[in-house]
Amino acid sequence: MATVEERVKAVTARVLNLDPGEIKPEHSFTADLGAESVQSVELVAMFEEEFGIEMDEDAALSVETVGKAVEFIAEVCRQQGVDVN
Amino acid sequence: MRLILIDSPEEVRGNFYPLALNRPLWELRCGFGSLEEKLAAGVGAGSVAYFVPDYMAAAYRAKVDRPVNDSSVLEGDDLLIVDPRVKADSFNVACSGPSEVGLDEQGGLLYARVAKADLAGLPKDEIGRFIEAAKAKLPNVTAELPAWQYIWDLVLENAGQITADFAAAGRNGIEGKVEQPNAIRGSKKDVYIAPGASVHPMVVIDAESGPVYIDKDVEIHPFSRIEGPCYIGKESVLFGAKCREGNSIGPACRIGGEVEGSIIHGYSNKYHDGFLGHAYVGQWVNLGALTANSDLKNDYSTVSVMLDGRRSINTGSTKVGSLIGDHVKTSIGTLLNTGSYVGAMSIIMATGKPLPKFIPSFSWFLEGVVTKGFGKGQLYETAKVVMDRRGCKWSEAERQMWDAVFEMTAPIRDKAIKKGRIAMLNR
Repeated sequence: MATVEERVKAVTARVLNLDPGEIKPEHSFTADLGAESVQSVELVAMFEEEFGIEMDEDAALSVETVGKAVEFIAEVCRQQGVDVN
Repeated sequence: MRLILIDSPEEVRGNFYPLALNRPLWELRCGFGSLEEKLAAGVGAGSVAYFVPDYMAAAYRAKVDRPVNDSSVLEGDDLLIVDPRVKADSFNVACSGPSEVGLDEQGGLLYARVAKADLAGLPKDEIGRFIEAAKAKLPNVTAELPAWQYIWDLVLENAGQITADFAAAGRNGIEGKVEQPNAIRGSKKDVYIAPGASVHPMVVIDAESGPVYIDKDVEIHPFSRIEGPCYIGKESVLFGAKCREGNSIGPACRIGGEVEGSIIHGYSNKYHDGFLGHAYVGQWVNLGALTANSDLKNDYSTVSVMLDGRRSINTGSTKVGSLIGDHVKTSIGTLLNTGSYVGAMSIIMATGKPLPKFIPSFSWFLEGVVTKGFGKGQLYETAKVVMDRRGCKWSEAERQMWDAVFEMTAPIRDKAIKKGRIAMLNR
């Protein structure tokens, strides 16, 4: 089973039209990966679909980097009882 | 005599969504003012009190200086309880006299006249129980009183209401400032320009087909054309607008482009070019440049509207534009289909295509689909900023009311968001 990080990178690559291999944990969604505000909304939506979770919009949209997104999503999965291990 | 306005059950209120999501039905406007103003003027009440749905009581109480959901108003005076959907100009019931309950053919209450002497036998703890007891204990009559059935009825009858209200107001002439050159077509008796209003040069006021009433402190910029019947509310500004017949605008609106047969509540902006026809627009709305709505289908058939996102209702009219709830914001170039419903607090980003005919409240319509967007917290922040700019305050009571509206409208919005997710995944 793919890790949370691999799945976050795959979703990010699909939404932002990037090669997953280019995406690093320290990358900022906006400054490094070029996500515009509408794409940020789409990323949150697609993360929710990928992991079967519900995220608070304000909290999710305040996450700046890929690595922080991995941590945030893993924590939400834990809180909502979604097994990602 | 005390006039008591009682709001309808949710299934009836739904016929007046999205405008009635956050206001009682008597705050809806037609002609010069609200349904309440017309009813209160007609019956000559000594005092007025209200019963609204619980979720909006605190917010409404903060807006008005009259009793709201206060059971103590059910004693101490003769009462005239009225369903605000009753059309004021047809309300021919004597305000004083023996107790009488007027019901429609389905047994719904249209009015109840309750003499002070009969109040003793009626429960006062809850308005619903009071009404049921009044129906059971007092003489009933079947009343054939015309009533507003749907939100678009107000739009379709607006021109006639303006004409009637102009006659009732009994004012004409120019008390404001009119700079020359200017043109008034038709009879000057059909034009009233209130004190403080300023009409710039190169404005045409065409009263040939109906009266034009320009209220206090309105400003009309050059190259505006105003066709009657028309009412421009206090402190509104027209920026070279083509204001075709049948509009009620304001107070404090900013209007440009072409507007026809529409009702626009206060503090809303349609500053730029773009057509708005036979529409009903709520408060605090901003329509971006080149936002346009269709109000006539290409096959000239009657327009259907979805008020609940599930079921289309045939309006029976070939001319129905958009129903736009409070705090809606549209981007440049938004195209609204004939008979569109745009739920309150929605944000619309145009895609170049006409929007779906039903946009749920609190939607962020982005990239052609309904999304959760940046959430309701961001919508509230924007609402606060917009209201602050006009010296109005976003209150805690208001937030709580909108939270309730958010919950009420969640099921249909969640369904639309799910549909949007599927569309995103299939791109």
